[in-house]
This record gives sequence, C-alpha cells and structure tokens, in this order.
Amino acid sequence: MSETVKQILNRFQSDAYMGRQGKVYTDTSDFMRITGGDVIVFKDGHYLVLRDEVERSYGIEDPKYWVKRCRHLESGERRLLKLVFYEKFFLQMGDIKITCYRSPRKEARILDLVRGDLRFMQGFSAEDEKGNTIRVLDVVKGKRLDNWIYELDVDHRTYFFEYLPQILEKFIGACEAIAYLHANGEKHGDIRRDHLWRETSSGDYVWIDFDYTFDFHENPFGLDVFGLGGLLLYIVGKGFYSQNDIITLFGDKKKAPDIEQGDFLLVFKNRLANLHKIFPYIPEDLNWVLMHFSAGASVYYETVGEFLSELRPCLKNMR
Amino acid sequence: MDVNKILVAIDGSENSKRAVEYVADVVKGCRDFEITLLHIERLPDRDVFPDEDAWKKECVAHRGKIESFLSENKKMMAEYSIPEKMVSTDYMESCDSPLAKEPSFCSRGTSIARDILHVAEKGHFGTVVIGRRGVSKAEEFMFGSVSNKIVHSGKNCTIWVVQ
Repeated sequence: MSETVKQILNRFQSDAYMGRQGKVYTDTSDFMRITGGDVIVFKDGHYLVLRDEVERSYGIEDPKYWVKRCRHLESGERRLLKLVFYEKFFLQMGDIKITCYRSPRKEARILDLVRGDLRFMQGFSAEDEKGNTIRVLDVVKGKRLDNWIYELDVDHRTYFFEYLPQILEKFIGACEAIAYLHANGEKHGDIRRDHLWRETSSGDYVWIDFDYTFDFHENPFGLDVFGLGGLLLYIVGKGFYSQNDIITLFGDKKKAPDIEQGDFLLVFKNRLANLHKIFPYIPEDLNWVLMHFSAGASVYYETVGEFLSELRPCLKNMR
Repeated sequence: MDVNKILVAIDGSENSKRAVEYVADVVKGCRDFEITLLHIERLPDRDVFPDEDAWKKECVAHRGKIESFLSENKKMMAEYSIPEKMVSTDYMESCDSPLAKEPSFCSRGTSIARDILHVAEKGHFGTVVIGRRGVSKAEEFMFGSVSNKIVHSGKNCTIWVVQ
C-alpha cells in the first residue's frame, strides 16, 4: 500500500507543521484538485504543496492553479511546480489581438538549454506517471525589476544620472540573454515587466516564464524585440507616462511640452516613447533607440542584435 | 535573369489566389513563359501541440491542403488557356518537416521572404509575384510582412505585389 501524506511527512520532516494533510498525487492531470497539504510524487521526489501561485496585478490576485508553491521534502527547499495546462488565449496589444498558447514542452526545452545560465530561471522537467511534463523551478529570490525601480525613492534626474547606467548595463546583459535564445531558435514569448526579476543578493537580472508561444513566421522574434523596447522605456523613464501623467508632471497643461501622436508607442498609444520631451537631459542617442518603438517610427529593429548595436553605445556615452 | 520566368509565391490564402489570377490574366495568350507556383512550407508550431503525434497529424493535413491549393491554382491557369506545360508547382519543405523527403534546399523557417528570393535567384526568375495582406504598421513590426521584405530585399528581378 502506498504511503499517506502523514507517513511521508514523518519520514522527511517530522517537525513540519501542516494544517491539512491531504492526498498523495502521482498523476497531476487534474491539477485543480491538488492543493495545500497534498504531496506530489514523481521522479523519486516528494513535493509538499503549500499553496497555488498567484499573479498580482492592479491589486487583484489571480490564482494560477497549475502552478504550485511547494517544499521539496528531500532537500527542504522551496520549489515551484508548473503542471501541464494547455491554454489558448488572446493577448491584446493595443489594437492587435495575438493568439498565444501555453506550451509545457517549450518551457521544458528552454530549461534544458539554459541550465547553469543564471540569466534565466533554473529548473528541470520530468514526467509524472501519466506522462505530464512537470517543470520544477528554483524560486528566484528577489523582486520584479520594475517594482524595484519604481520603489527607488529618488527623483527622475537623480535616478537617471546615479542609477540608470548600472541598470542599463545589466539590462543589456538581459537582452543578450534573449539574443542567445533567438540564436538557438527559441523565443521567450512573453517579455513584459513582470517576467524580468532582480535577484536580491547579486543584483543580477533573471528572466522567468518561457511557456508562451505564438505562431509568427516572417518575424518570429518580433514580439520579443517589442517587449524589450517596452522594458527599456520603463527603465529609462522610471515608469510609463500617459498624456495625463505629463500634465501632472509639469503641474499645468500650458507648461507641458507639445506632444504628438507619433511621440507615443506604436502599440500602446498612451505611453510616451519620446521621453526627451519631458526629461531633456536624456541624450539624443538613447531617445533615438526609444523612438524606434514609437508610432512615428519608419524603421524598426528586427533583431535583438540590431537593438543592442544602438543601445550599447548609449551606455558608453552616459559614463 | 530570364524575363520569361515568373515565380508566384503562394501561401494558401485568398490574397495569393488573387496573385495567381492576376498573373494568369496578364500572361494569357502569350507563349514561351514559364510560371512556377511556389509554396514555402510553414509548419504548424510544434509547441502548440501536446505531443509529436498530434503535431505530425496536423503537418500531414497542412501539406494535403496546400498541395490541393497548388493543383487547383494550376488548373485555374488552364482555364485562362495557359498551356499546362507552361505552369509548374514547387513545394519547398521545411527543414523540420516530419515528412521531409531529403530536399536539396529546405526552409529554416526564419524568413519566408528570404526563401522565396533564394528560389528566385537560383532559378533565374525575372519576375517574383506575391499577394499582399495589407497589415498595419504595428502588425508589420510585430509579425513581419513577407511582401515588404521582398520589395526591400529583392535584387535583379521585377517584383509584382498584388493587393
């Protein structure tokens, strides 16, 4: 007869307190039933489920039932378990609707590709008894980069001159990591602010979540490049600026600079790309890189390499 | 470059059908033209499917659909009184195709436009014809545009973009 959760806990961590002692799962197909107090067993590993992962956005918690926060009972360390969840959904980017898919296979493959490369989250994949590809992820000990930047309690000028050069240097490293994926025929698939984290002890930037995919043939990496542009805009601006934010910044509509539609992002039309207009100390060359993502642009970056070839000299000139 | 050789790139869409009809309309009644209907295989994304079998099944279905499309368009040219011997079809396989038949050149899947231009150059085609979807600026940035890339990168040939 197979072990109960109580027996498993006694064997590994007899002093562990667990309010609920649930069931032992060797088949994770029905992930909605698996909850705190259950134990998932696969590939000789025992994972005590603590709770479902949640995504926080605009103060609302969105549970991700297929991602379990766990304790690996053999080592006592925290792990994230991503269970198999096939999902087709539409990503709205401005006026454009993109069909996306969640692919456990893609993420498992990338985890293999980037093993030991700390620019990416680390982990491995293994199958449960029903052949479901479970991804076992190390928890990134840190904070979302955008939140860390937002919470720096300095004005933009101080931020720009005292913090940005170091941040930009690390961001360039993060872009090189994405270029490495592309060179290996892989795309991140979901480059956005909450998927780049800052590891607390090293200050290094770490990409997370590679399970999104989409089907673009002519420009397979275009969405990743666009994502990097959006991140750069946030990093340089220490936030995004809408028309209203600009008026607030200047205290009066009459004092605010003239902003045209072409100054905003091509896709998110309420985010100012031409930051030089509100922060004139932003150098022309850096602003020029940002303007490649604006509605007024006539030339776009097709590859991360092109993007970096113009971004790297900006950092050099800022120092 | 041979001015009598026309390469029509088709992807199975209505736009590409319009491109074939346009060429047929222009060439009808003329002799000594060589028309090739070219398809660059675009496999369904492997990662979208739960396992290899499901993906392979979709690849087979996709190929069947395109081969029918090629043959229908070839027949359609015959309706314009273009002799059958003047029209041929070319299906360029993806290098990752599970149905690959060891082709001499296969598509790596990173740029359809480059693959089309490669065929045009190797085959000395004087004209390349392509249909156009008509995408917005933002869509072009994110998804890319085959016709725009061909217009910008094509050399030593005439390019017809059919709207």
